[in-house]
Amino acid sequence: MNIKFPKSCLMAAMLGATALAPLPALAAKTELSLGAGAEDIGRLDPHYAASTIDRTLVAWIFGGLVRFAPGTTDPAQIEPDLAESWDVSDDGLVWTFKLREGVQWQHGYGEVTAEDVVFSLEKSADPERSAYASEYSAFEKVEAVDPYTVRITLSQVIPNVLGPLANYAGGFIISKKAYEERGDAFSRQPVGFGPFQLDTVESGVAAHFTAHQDYFRGEPELSKVTYRFLNSASARDLAFLAGEVDAITGLADQKWLERTLAIDGVTVDVFDPAELTILHINSQQPPFDDLRVRQALAYAVDASRIAQYRGPEFTRVAKSVVPSNNLGYTEDNGYMAFDAEKAQELLAEAGYPDGLTVKMISSQLPSYESSNQILQAQLEEVGITLELEPVEHATWHQMIRQDLSPLVSYGAARFPVADVYLTQFFHSDSIVGTDTAVTNFSHCDVADEQIEAARVETDPQKQIALWEEAQKLIIEAVCGVPTTETAGVWARHGNLDWGFDFKGSMSLGPLLTEKTRFTD
Amino acid sequence: MSERSTATVEIRERKSGFRSFVSKLNISTWAGLIIVLALLAAAIFAPQLATHSPSKQNIMDQLAEPGSQYLLGADQFGRDIWTRLLYGARYSLTIGFFAIVVALFAGTFIGMIAGYRGGRIDIIFMQVMDVVLAFPSLILGLALVALMGATLTNIIIAIAFTATPAFARIARAGVITQRDREYVQACQAMGFSGPRILFRHIMPAILPEVMVMASLWMATAVRTEASLAFIGLGLAPPTPTWGGMVRDGFDNILSAFHLAIVPSLAILLLVLAFNLIGDGLRDVIDPRLKDAS
Repeated sequence: MNIKFPKSCLMAAMLGATALAPLPALAAKTELSLGAGAEDIGRLDPHYAASTIDRTLVAWIFGGLVRFAPGTTDPAQIEPDLAESWDVSDDGLVWTFKLREGVQWQHGYGEVTAEDVVFSLEKSADPERSAYASEYSAFEKVEAVDPYTVRITLSQVIPNVLGPLANYAGGFIISKKAYEERGDAFSRQPVGFGPFQLDTVESGVAAHFTAHQDYFRGEPELSKVTYRFLNSASARDLAFLAGEVDAITGLADQKWLERTLAIDGVTVDVFDPAELTILHINSQQPPFDDLRVRQALAYAVDASRIAQYRGPEFTRVAKSVVPSNNLGYTEDNGYMAFDAEKAQELLAEAGYPDGLTVKMISSQLPSYESSNQILQAQLEEVGITLELEPVEHATWHQMIRQDLSPLVSYGAARFPVADVYLTQFFHSDSIVGTDTAVTNFSHCDVADEQIEAARVETDPQKQIALWEEAQKLIIEAVCGVPTTETAGVWARHGNLDWGFDFKGSMSLGPLLTEKTRFTD
Repeated sequence: MSERSTATVEIRERKSGFRSFVSKLNISTWAGLIIVLALLAAAIFAPQLATHSPSKQNIMDQLAEPGSQYLLGADQFGRDIWTRLLYGARYSLTIGFFAIVVALFAGTFIGMIAGYRGGRIDIIFMQVMDVVLAFPSLILGLALVALMGATLTNIIIAIAFTATPAFARIARAGVITQRDREYVQACQAMGFSGPRILFRHIMPAILPEVMVMASLWMATAVRTEASLAFIGLGLAPPTPTWGGMVRDGFDNILSAFHLAIVPSLAILLLVLAFNLIGDGLRDVIDPRLKDAS
């Protein structure tokens, strides 16, 4: 028998079934995709991480004893991270940190204990295993009193003990067991206790992260994070425009800002610290072993043109060899303002009346590429031919550390106390090519005495005076020519909430926390 | 018939040969020739035709649109695009021409020796050429330039290296078809040396095909150079190269698309012109090839 249902019955049944079926929850998405101006990661061993992207990523993976409050770079707002609390001895030499119990390493490496902290801080202080060893020179002894107590004994009182213990550079705590097991591979397979763990790196494509389920502040709201390498600014912008990525590294460029702000629902975060770019001059190599040539170079640089190119929203002219937000910064330092005639006179005096030709290895990162080309055009005007040798950014980082470029234009932001910048860029212990090498590309050693004295000076006024003197000496010897200070910039779609007010980031990119989420 | 009249007839024949050759060229070949000559003139007279200095920056005019001050607009540093385009033609043409001339000499020489001698030499030479041929020219050029450094000479050498096997193959094939011809046997019977037979008697017979190949490969050379510059392995800044200009323009394509479009069109035009010439020559010299393709 053939039974026929009226069509309307069928429709009603279908509608009813649809209504009864559980509605998919309108949950906000939990997978974040970011677009970065990079071709690949470099080293994710946090004690070596130097490039902007490496620094950004290690801050998601690792934590420190203490941390900068998310979204800030203010040392006054440092708060507990792994350490719950701490005590200082009356003489200021012994610091005892009480660790949080039950904090878990990523990838199942067990609980974070005092032993890991001791191992990490000893590694940070070891120039053979860390690029930031000089910051720990006053750390005499780090010991585990019990699994949850770490005691640090200083050889002398230093001004900011929490600085080198924060979630930044050498302050990141790594898993002892993972480091010993993974050896050199740790740089690409890091293990920390931060909110996101690195799963895989697709070379040249993306780095893939997942939430660290056992993160001690609670399971992160985001489940996955893809950090895509989109080195071409246009490709990155297009991916952002099409919604393929939720946030991107911006360009410190006015046209970019105008264009991006015109997109519906987009927020642009301009944040500290502004990276100070200095043209470091290798004073050991001719023709720059002649002070007059270095001076000529200083007078030939018109930083205002680079600042103008980038736009006042992001960039200002730099006037000292430490960033302007640093404790100890001074502009009263004998800074040589642009003066083309003087530059030419000095060149003639030094025996180069017809000018000279110098080589500079240059990063192909768009911001460096453009600044260096502006620099090149400026120097040409006084008769200095700057031969640029463009190389990929990670290669550039390696080459300049091998002392291969007599001129190095390097932008960086560090812990905002003058000591760090001065030590890493201008103290003789940091000269590139040496065992303790950091980033002293100029082979500068004129202010060693002042930098060292300031480190142990307990009177804040005297300490600042020493840092100011150091800046004067470095400018006088023209170890470097400060050019610009450029703030960091990221753009995001409106539904992405970082989880904090993004005004600053010591990791030079957005910090991801357990609270980072999508709002719809 | 006297000697003089024989000579006159020969010249007349040659002339008429050239005339018939020219008359066989189709309109698109002429178009290609005119474009190449025009670009060559632009390159030679760049200083006269330019309205600005190719490296002078005017930051205030960054990304200026085409207009009376900047004929084709200005780039991100406020440099005149028209001027940079003219100077860029010098590098594109120089690299395209010299890379292929080097490849032509090297490849033809290798191919002729391999084809004429045969045997082991042939096998070794051609196997090596096949290995080189196995790599896409851009990838090989990229590796070589990255290894040697991006200077004008190195770029020419790298591109020449990638193009050499093509010439070796065609020259070898030509020599093999000629080597058993009667005129070659006659030369051998007269006791001429191998090189003399090869270079004085066989070479003229294979040269037309090689020339067709050269014009087609010039297009490839221009393209490869532009691609290298686009991925950052071109001549160092501020040298204006078309590929480099596209690269710069690409980063600003959302703000000012003319930066990338103008040099792209220039590359397109030059590559098209070389292809038109190559196709035209091929049709005249060896119509069978046209049918084959």
